[in-house]
Amino acid sequence: MEQNKEMTAQESLKIITETMNKNRQDIVRHGGKYFVLWGILLTVFSLLVYFFWKTTGHAAWCNLWFGMPLVGLPLSRWIGSKEKVISAENTISRINTGIWRAFGIFACTLSLFTVCYAFTGTTNLSGLVLGASLTASIVLLFGLAETISGIALKNWTIQIAGWLTGIGGVAIYYLLAEGAEQMLIFTLAGIVLAATGLIVKYQYK
Amino acid sequence: MFPKLDPLLHSELRLAVMSILAGVDEADFTFIKNQTGATSGNLSVQIDKLTSAGYITVEKGFKGKMPRTTCKITPAGQEAFAKYVEALKEYLA
Repeated sequence: MEQNKEMTAQESLKIITETMNKNRQDIVRHGGKYFVLWGILLTVFSLLVYFFWKTTGHAAWCNLWFGMPLVGLPLSRWIGSKEKVISAENTISRINTGIWRAFGIFACTLSLFTVCYAFTGTTNLSGLVLGASLTASIVLLFGLAETISGIALKNWTIQIAGWLTGIGGVAIYYLLAEGAEQMLIFTLAGIVLAATGLIVKYQYK
Repeated sequence: MFPKLDPLLHSELRLAVMSILAGVDEADFTFIKNQTGATSGNLSVQIDKLTSAGYITVEKGFKGKMPRTTCKITPAGQEAFAKYVEALKEYLA
């Protein structure tokens, strides 16, 4: 790009439009790798919980879920610190981060209350507020977060994937899943999330 | 009579830099270099000109152990950019 080239008004407008579009696409694509990371973690942890719950018969293995943010958050930070090319944030990427942070806070709080309920018999917030099981509540929140994320990023793939995960996950839970098998709903959600990340990276390549 | 286009913005690379910064909270030098495809030397010169005009601010720091130069558009820069786009619209109308 040269700094002294004489430009017409059309050329100027073209530069502005192209630069802004490329910028937006790169930032959206950059977010794709975090979808892949959390999708893989969700798949791995759900399979681990499923395996231990199934083989031992103890639902207490669900506490393994609390290990997911403990692994995922430092890993996300590490990936961010290794990033050499993309280091910019716009309103959309900030909203996207906020959506998933809010989901994490809600999911952890609901889970904590459920653990308290299991040990002490105090309020089961998930059942009390949402009238649903923890699995159904979290999968619905997850789908909602992904759909809003897709709306913010103006990406239909993410919006549809979010809707399918949320509504489909709840439907599977009530129709088919019992005991340890309900963990496989999160395996499915993890695969959808990772696939969404790969699609976003491919779409904006 | 067409309004005069801001000569500081009416340059390919400086306009691209301002277009990037208008859409983000802040961006580092490497990101801008990658987006514009400009050489480091050329980009530094143009960023200095925009900084002198008060259109952007430049902050030098570190990201881990690596030095990092961060650029951010100022309110004056945003206003100048908006006026430039408005003037372009009149040319194209």
